[in-house]
This record gives sequence, C-alpha cells and structure tokens, in this order.
Amino acid sequence: MHGLAALTFLGISTLLRAGGDDVAIGRSISVATSDLSCDAIQSAHPAGIRFREVGDHTLVTNEAGRFAMLESSGSQSQSDPSFKLPDAIKTALIPENRLSKLAQTFEAAKRRTRAGPLDYLILVPTLRCNLACSYCQVSRAAIGASGHDWDDGTLAAVLSLVSSLSSASIKIEFQGGEPSLRPDLIEAVINAVPPATTASFVICTNLQIINDGILAIFDRPDVLISTSLDGPEELHSKQRQGDAVRAREFHKNLNWLIDRYGPGKISALPTINPQALPDPDALIDAYSSLGLHSLYLRPINFQGFARKRHASARQTDGSWSAYHERFIDRLIERNFLDRTKVLEETYFSLILRRIFQPGADRHVDLRNPNPVGRDYIVIDYDGMAYPTDEARMLTRSGVIDLSIGNVAEGWDSDARAALEAASTNDGDPTCEKCAYKPYCGRDIIDDISRYGTIDTPKEETEFCRRHLSLFDLAFKMIHSKDPAVRYSLGRWLGLGSDLPAMESAA
Amino acid sequence: MIPLNFEIQSDEPEPFVARLTREVGSGPADFVCRSQSESRSLWCGDHGLLEIVHNGENIEGDIMLVDPENGRADRVIRATSKHNTLLVTEQCDQLCVMCSQPPKKTHLDRFKLFEEACLLAPAGMVIGISGGEPTLHMDALLGMIESVLRERSDLSFHILSNAQHFEQHHILRLCDPVYRNVVWGIPLYSSDPVVHDTVVAKPGAYERLISSFEHLLLAAARIELRTVLTATTVPGLSPLSRFIARNLPHIEQWSLMGLENIGFAKNRWDDLYADLNTDFSDLAAAIDWAQLHGIATKIFNLPLCHIPQHYRSFAVASISDWKQRFGKSCVSCRAKRDCSGFFEWHPDKLVDEVTPL
Repeated sequence: MHGLAALTFLGISTLLRAGGDDVAIGRSISVATSDLSCDAIQSAHPAGIRFREVGDHTLVTNEAGRFAMLESSGSQSQSDPSFKLPDAIKTALIPENRLSKLAQTFEAAKRRTRAGPLDYLILVPTLRCNLACSYCQVSRAAIGASGHDWDDGTLAAVLSLVSSLSSASIKIEFQGGEPSLRPDLIEAVINAVPPATTASFVICTNLQIINDGILAIFDRPDVLISTSLDGPEELHSKQRQGDAVRAREFHKNLNWLIDRYGPGKISALPTINPQALPDPDALIDAYSSLGLHSLYLRPINFQGFARKRHASARQTDGSWSAYHERFIDRLIERNFLDRTKVLEETYFSLILRRIFQPGADRHVDLRNPNPVGRDYIVIDYDGMAYPTDEARMLTRSGVIDLSIGNVAEGWDSDARAALEAASTNDGDPTCEKCAYKPYCGRDIIDDISRYGTIDTPKEETEFCRRHLSLFDLAFKMIHSKDPAVRYSLGRWLGLGSDLPAMESAA
Repeated sequence: MIPLNFEIQSDEPEPFVARLTREVGSGPADFVCRSQSESRSLWCGDHGLLEIVHNGENIEGDIMLVDPENGRADRVIRATSKHNTLLVTEQCDQLCVMCSQPPKKTHLDRFKLFEEACLLAPAGMVIGISGGEPTLHMDALLGMIESVLRERSDLSFHILSNAQHFEQHHILRLCDPVYRNVVWGIPLYSSDPVVHDTVVAKPGAYERLISSFEHLLLAAARIELRTVLTATTVPGLSPLSRFIARNLPHIEQWSLMGLENIGFAKNRWDDLYADLNTDFSDLAAAIDWAQLHGIATKIFNLPLCHIPQHYRSFAVASISDWKQRFGKSCVSCRAKRDCSGFFEWHPDKLVDEVTPL
C-alpha cells in the first residue's frame, strides 16, 4: 500500500507539472481553442476516449476505465466538424471539476500495474509424476527418474530465497511434476518462511496418492489444495490416461478430502480440450455435486506435451469463445433458478472486476504493464527461474529458452529486461485504439508460445480475440435488462443484490 | 465505564507526562509504584511523588498527562487498550447537528505533552486524535505527528477531521513518508452541498471540503470517509455513493455510522433517527454501488438483525464491550458475539427492537 500510494502521487504530480491544473486528464486543453467548439475539444482530446461497437450499441470508454453505452450504433466520426459529444458520455466520462479530474487521473494510474516486492512464488520441487496425462503441460519426468528433484544446492538456495522475503504476506504454490511426491521439500520451504510473514501455501496435486507425509501438510490451516477435475468421471479418465481405476482413485481421494475439510480448502480446475468441448451442464454438475461452486475454464495450452499431441490447440477459431459464452449463460440460468448457491466462472468474474475496479490486478495473466520476474517467479526443479509457469513449460519443450536466471544467482538479467520491455500493451497500434485497453493486459509468453514472436498484429492473436469476446460479453451483460443476468452479475461482483442499472443513453 | 481521568496529588508546579511502571524504569517519565491500597496508589519518578486516587483499576503501563495545579491526571494512553484517543482541542468551526462531543470556545495547548506521551506508547499502537477539530491547530498538529513518527515509525495515527483547513501549501508537507502512517477520518454527509452544510451548520463547508479533498488526493493522503446515518443523510446515500465512486475513488474506506444518542443528538433524537430496521433500501443501494467500484464499505454501530442478510458481512462489531448494550431477547441470538449491539446510551424504547438470529 505504501509503495502504491507514493507512486500514485508521483504519477499524478508528474502529470500536473506537465502543464498546470487543467492538464490532468485532457492533455490537449492547452492547445489553441479559437476555432474548435467545446464538444470538439472534449471529444478530440485524448482523455483516452475510445469507441467500440458492441452488438447494436456503441461503447465508449476512457483511460480511467469509465464507460458509457450508447444505444445507437455507427457513432458519428469524431473528425466530423459537427460532431457533438452525447450527454451520456459527458456525464460518465468527462470530469466536471478539478476533483473529478484528479480522481480520473488517479484511476488511470491505479489501473496500471506497479509490482510490489516478490510475494508469489511457484516452486517445482520435482518434475517427476505418477501420471502421464495426454495434455500434460509441464513435460513431466517418469516417477522413477533420477535428477529431476531439487538437489541440495538448489534446496539451500530456495530456502535462502524464502527466508529473505520482505513482503508482509506471501503465497507459495507448489507445482510439478507431482509435488506430493516430496513432502519433505514442501515442509522445508514452509518452515523457512520468516515468522513475521503471513504465508499461504497451495499444493497443486493430482490427488492420486495421499500418504501420511502429505496429509500432515494438507492438515495445516494455511495450506490450500488445488487439483484438476476435468468433469464427470468418464471424461476425467479419458483425458488422463484412459485409466478408469486411477480416475476412481482420484475421485475417492477428492471426496474424502472434501469430507475432511469442507469445500473451502480445495479448488479444482478443468482442463478443456477445445476440440471436444464437454457439455456445460455435465461439467457444472461434476463440480457443484462436490460443493465446488467456482470453476475456471481454461482451454488446453499449446505447451509441453500438449504441443505435440494437440497441435490444433494453437488456434481455437471462435468455438472456444462461443463455448465460454454458452457456459456463462448456463451459469446465469442455473443461478437464477436455484438461489441457494452462486455458481461462477472465475475468469469471467475477474473480467468484470477489471472493468469496475481499478487496481484489481493480482491476476498475473491479465494486467498492464505486466512486470516480469518482479512480484512473482517460478523456480523449476533444477533451480532455473522463469517469469511464468508457461515460460517454464515452453522452455522444457525446447521451443525457446525463457529462463531469466536461477535461484542461486537471482534473475536481474538481460533476459528479464528484454521480456519486461515488451510486456505491455502501451503503444501497440491495435491496443491503443481499443476501448478495452484500460481493462486488458498483455501476455507475451502466450504470443511466443503460439506464434514464436511477439510481433503478430494483436488482432490476429488468440489472446486478443479471446479477450475482445469476453469484454464484449461482459459489457453486453452489464447493460442487459434481463433480471437473471443482473442477478448473477451482482453476486459475481460481491454485491448484496442485483447489479444496479448503469447510466446509458440514446 | 472505564475511568479516563483520576484525582491526583503532586508537588511538581508544571504539567508533566508520567508512564506508570512496576519495575524501575529507564526514562525520565517513568514512575515506579511504591505502594498501593484499595483506593489509591503512590508512584515515584523524576518529577517526585505522584499519588493517584483510583478504585483498584489496573493502570500499570498507562501513560498519564498530569496536571498538578488542578489535581487531575488524564489517562491518555492505556497500555492494554486498542482505542486510545487524544482530545487535542475542544474548539470546532462546525456545529454538526448530531455532534457527540459538543465543542467549547477555549483551547488548552497540550501538544508538547501529547507528543511526549505518544513517544512512550507501546510498540505498534494506533493512536486516535480527535476534538473538537484538530486541524484548527494545523501546525502544532502536523509538528507533533512528524516528531512522533520520525522517532517511532512503528506507531500510526487516526485523525478525525472536518478537513476545512487543508491548503495548497500543505500538499508537499503531507507527502512526507511519515504520513503513510496517518489516516484521516473525514465526514461527508451528502453530495448535495446544501444538505451537507445544513448537517454541519456551516455555510460553504461543502465547497471548502471539496478543495481539501483535492489537496489531500495530491498528497496521496489516506482517507477514511465517514457518513453518520440520520433521517437527513440516509435519503441521499445512493447519490452520495455515486459521487464517491466518481470523485473519491482513492479513499481507503467508507464508514457508514449508526447514530449515537449522545451530545447534541440526545435532544434531537426523534428528528435525527433513521429507522434502518424498517427500510434498508437506501443503504443497500449505496453499499452496492460503492462495492461495485471497489470502494471498501463498512457499517458501524448497527445490530446485525437490523441489516438484511446479504449486507451483514459489511457490518463491524464496532461498539466496545464497556459501552455496549443488548436487548432482552439478544440472549438467544447466535450472532451476538459478532454483533455491535447498541450503545449503552441508546434510547431505552429502541433497545428491544431486535430479532434473534
């Protein structure tokens, strides 16, 4: 908080110093105004005002993330001299006084990520795994393989890193391979956390085997369990190894843990093959029958082993977005029918929060700029440091080396600097025109993974298409009059009742 | 009630600060207990002997402002309490209709003594500053805060202020890193200037407040916005929430505070009281809008059963046990432990308007 506020202050005062009081948002206000009408000035000046057709409406947003929806489509061209800024835009987007100008500057600044100290670690104590799923994204090693666990030197460096963390609270996620194969290493990391630091731990496990060693760790109140549940038992089994015995074992263990701890301790993710999309209701039922009401839909990633076996995952045409939308629609219908629980898809909820709440930027895949190797880092089984788990997988599969350093020597490297310099949507010709820029982010690793370059025009990337579609859906729903939609949106955004009506105008 | 001042005797001519300790202290303000009876205790320190009349309360570790001339000591920092508030002045330039602590004309400057007391505070304490209006004595106030926080970065201050006195030239001063440990609790009663000015009984107060907000925003000051829930303010809550989301997105918290039947509110209760138990809709709409825009909102001083189920998570069990009161049927309520209850001085006729949860 300290750093954020201080930087925010710097941001604002810098803007103000640039040209006196009136410069905060409308930086062209100091331009000679003789032959321009007030409306022309306001519409022309780059308060970051951007337009987008959404259905038969026109959405208008500004750099602060304020928005208005206009009922008529085909907005007049801004270059038309008779252009008149509709009142709805003025009310919603144009600051009416100095305070609201400052407030918008503050919001625009707050929408930009400022990485704090390292407070999110993904650790891979072993690459070995007792499964070999068809879509495995991590290039796992065989269960009996040697040289795929932290050696003594790497362990010592990890413990030294953890014990020197300066953040007040941290999250440490254990990935693999299958981390539960090495409870001793997990235990050592947990014990290395400085006493004054509030820590939470996530064990990402396939729940194939639960022994006493890992159970003792699960029992800790500061430990959460994350697993993969692809849907009903048959589908789960099919996507894994086609091994029904193992799938049953997993379900038995999952049920047993939910009985033991309640659903709050366990989260599950489905990994979805875009070529064989599961029926939304079957997927939702598989989760809600276990008391798990939150799902995070993620398509198979074009990485790791998946790169070889699911080459078609590289480009998902429009079917993924259509599926996602159908899925959200089903959640909305089901929530409205059964008010005893609220089902949600967490990525869509994040999209909604990003629209309304400047600073909702702890999701590292959707923020701008997206700092590299600052507030989070991935440490692999061999001590190498990666900016994201996807970067680790891409490196493991031999596509490109995206390591930025290692745990012993740190990662303040040229590689980090090179990645970080590109990790923003600022200045991108497509993004700069896009009404969703204030809410969107940049994931260069995804671009590298799919296209082998970060220079693909944005509108041709899967990331861009997927997010345009999600933001379109979000804004349609935000302005929907359907009570079922307003009911779910209100709950997903943490309100006590339905989403209130937005200002919009003809 | 916990006594906040005591009758004392001391031969020292001038007021001084005393920290009461059991063991031989190290600082000049430390007073060690020499003897104790049921009704009084005797303490010894650099300022000589100090006799305190009290009924066996545990005052060890407490910090006193001793006023020998008037035979009185103010217990300004209680070591075991999380709610220590320094009343730095009783003057105020507003006269809020529901003021719980009506102002006085005269000011007794004790900032130096308060500063000394703060420097002795237990580690990590949040010290409240209230009045009157503390910023009527802006330089002394800021001077005290800066001196204390430069030496004691573990401490923080929460200052209640009407924010009528921040000027352009304060911005740079408030940018000092020590102010990261300062939260300003500032009341805003309406987005309608006329209503706000009427509540605080000061024409032009709203406009002046807005210009202070501009300065405070530029100083990245930390702000807790406060709105007392009265028959006048409740109908305007929804537009106020929209105003806040638009103009004050930087605040750390918006506190919606149930009315206290004390001070001026006592004689105006029937005019001021808003029956939220019957109609929560204005409050609900305001909370939803603020929450939607990521503004942390909390409800203070309302019992949980007056709040619809989906809004109870916004409520704080804000009334400390020594001034807390419950209705008769609260005995069977399962939520009592998490409930603010009522103030001890809440009107009798309303205390039993409860529904056990």
